[in-house]
Amino acid sequence: MTQAEIKLCSLLLQEHFGEIVDKIGTHLIRTGSQPLRAIVHDTGTSLDQVKKALCVLIQHNLVTYQIHKRGVVEYEAHCSRILRILRYPRYIYTAKTLYSDTGELIVEELLLNGKMTMSAVVKKVADRLTETMEDGKTMDYSEVSSTFCRLADTHFVQRCPLVPDPPESADAQPPPPAPTLSINEKDMYLVPKLNLVGKGKRRRSSDDDAAGEPRPKRPKQTAESKEPIPDDGIYWQADLDRFHQHFRDQSIVSAVANRMDQTSSEIVRTMLRMSEITTSSCAPFTQPLSSNEIFRSLPVGYNISKQVLDQYLTLLADDPLEFVGKSGDSGGGMYVINLHKALASLAMATLESIVQERFGSRCARIFRLVLRKKHLEQKQVEDFAMIPAKEAKDMLYKLLSENLISLQEIPKTPDHAPSRTFYLYTVNSLSAARMLLRRCYKSIANLIERRQFETKENKRLLEKSQRVEAILASMQATGAEEAQLQEIEEMITAPERQQLEGLKRNVNKLDASEIQVDETIFVLESYTESTMKRA
Amino acid sequence: MAGNKGRGRASFTFNIEAIGFARGEKLPDVVLKPPPLYPDTDYKPVPLKAGEAEEYMLALKQEFRATMKRTPYFMDTEEEKQEIERYSKRYLKNYKEDDLEWIPDWRRLPREMMPRKKLEWLWPSCYYKLVNESNLYQDLEKKGDEEKSDEETDEKEGGKGKRKDNDDDDDDEAADEQEEYDEEEQEEENDYINSYFDNGDDFGAESDDNMDEATY
Repeated sequence: MTQAEIKLCSLLLQEHFGEIVDKIGTHLIRTGSQPLRAIVHDTGTSLDQVKKALCVLIQHNLVTYQIHKRGVVEYEAHCSRILRILRYPRYIYTAKTLYSDTGELIVEELLLNGKMTMSAVVKKVADRLTETMEDGKTMDYSEVSSTFCRLADTHFVQRCPLVPDPPESADAQPPPPAPTLSINEKDMYLVPKLNLVGKGKRRRSSDDDAAGEPRPKRPKQTAESKEPIPDDGIYWQADLDRFHQHFRDQSIVSAVANRMDQTSSEIVRTMLRMSEITTSSCAPFTQPLSSNEIFRSLPVGYNISKQVLDQYLTLLADDPLEFVGKSGDSGGGMYVINLHKALASLAMATLESIVQERFGSRCARIFRLVLRKKHLEQKQVEDFAMIPAKEAKDMLYKLLSENLISLQEIPKTPDHAPSRTFYLYTVNSLSAARMLLRRCYKSIANLIERRQFETKENKRLLEKSQRVEAILASMQATGAEEAQLQEIEEMITAPERQQLEGLKRNVNKLDASEIQVDETIFVLESYTESTMKRA
Repeated sequence: MAGNKGRGRASFTFNIEAIGFARGEKLPDVVLKPPPLYPDTDYKPVPLKAGEAEEYMLALKQEFRATMKRTPYFMDTEEEKQEIERYSKRYLKNYKEDDLEWIPDWRRLPREMMPRKKLEWLWPSCYYKLVNESNLYQDLEKKGDEEKSDEETDEKEGGKGKRKDNDDDDDDEAADEQEEYDEEEQEEENDYINSYFDNGDDFGAESDDNMDEATY
């Protein structure tokens, strides 16, 4: 864990959960797992606040606990999970593209609340959708829950580990200080059946609303409050790894589309979709698929003959990028997608483009050269790159000092005398990727700080505009005259308005940059993770 | 450093021409200060990607951040409370506090997470007795039982600053939670040492000195 990551985590916690949670969370990241007393003592925060902060962090899956010897419960924060907050907009947007507005709201609610029961999610989402609909229309619970089931079927949401049922003879020994949560892998995506029974009743209540006037925002359900929740204790969370798998597949597909053509990308997409659930998200290869299977699974209306498909597959397998590999000849040829290779290619393309944009195309040429040839002596770099020796040296040293290129000494004699030593330049792609990853974290932290600074500088103005808007809204609600409204609107002067617009533009730009830097983080992180798993 | 003076090129053990300095060329000055905070960049950054997806994600991000601030999960320091309520703030208020309260599922959390306000009233008067009286334990239990029914609702409402008595969908959950909560509470009350310590923390929360004393 680097300082840059800790700093970024701290900023994210502060922005989303407030100062106190930030303090506790950052303390936990710095110190590793800690018992409650130690946290209270070391942070100098009151016990109640620490407890609540920990509850919040646990609720959002950012902190886990474990019972240690002598019954002490220790809490541990997960830095990498906290950094995922940056990607929340992308998860929500993905859910929207796959499962429209309902899917979007389901994932958004799950991310907002960390974990929720299915009934609570369905209720909340139906309420929110109903609010946006025209008067007299309502969203049916059944519709929302069917979208929820589809999300569970495609593994985008999963069950949280459950609390084990308390044994009957509980009074014999005292209960443990903390429950041990566990889940059977088979049940991970099992939508509770119980819910279907409870759904009918709720649907009736929404039907009633549909018949009468539009439902109030939060209908008071006195009758229902007594009845037990059908899926009590079964909590759901968004499966971020599954989302990552989806992002990865999408970037592989678009990379193939850029390299070859639309048809080949469609074939790769089909292969990825076929192995979506059978292949674990961290496997280096997909399961082997025969060309016959692929042919059958191609989307309907995609008119290519078996022969053309085979030609495409051969082409893809011959491509030097090796996204697709041939693993056997049975069944008309067995093909796999080399996921690790694909991620590595994507990461290398990212590295190259970063070098190009930061140091210019000639530096990028040297970088690519060293990357392809693995090890090169300085003289060779100068010659192969076809750049004047003096400039080439300059660029090479610049890349070396930025840690993008590393230097390997190979002495001819044991005394390491420079005159009798080979100096080989090489690109250590893993460490270069890690270094850039740290830079990305640092940049996002800087972006957030800048955004906070901008907002703070204009705090008074922002508050004023908020207040004016609030007054306007309430006046409109009470039916004020046009002239009155205009008068209030003019409370914000023209220069102030201009300043507000400028601020908004800056904040938008900073926010958009955060999201886009995170895309780079995703590519680099997938690469480092996949490389680590192979090693 | 002083030993090196005047020796010039001879101090290098390798052929300096190999790294790009011609014979007789001046070496660059030694850098004694950190690089500037905002160094000049040779190349301007490329513009951000723009498009429908990017704009939607931007809106989602800003909305998510704003919504998080209104959830009960957001714990801010209390300093923002103002002595005099501004008239115009009144308009902002209902906009801000329309979210539901949050009752954690205590079954999923370690037992020590549960707030134990119930015994707080016992604390100052019983502190000295605690040390000597062996039958205090029964007292506690009796008192606890008497008070429980009355205190229950009060304590629930007043316990956490953020709680409001909104009529929301969680009502049924709340009822459920309450039962669970009391059950556990009973067990807790048997836990002599723990309650001792916890009350200490609550009591001395205001000053650091007391804090330390209570923790140890």
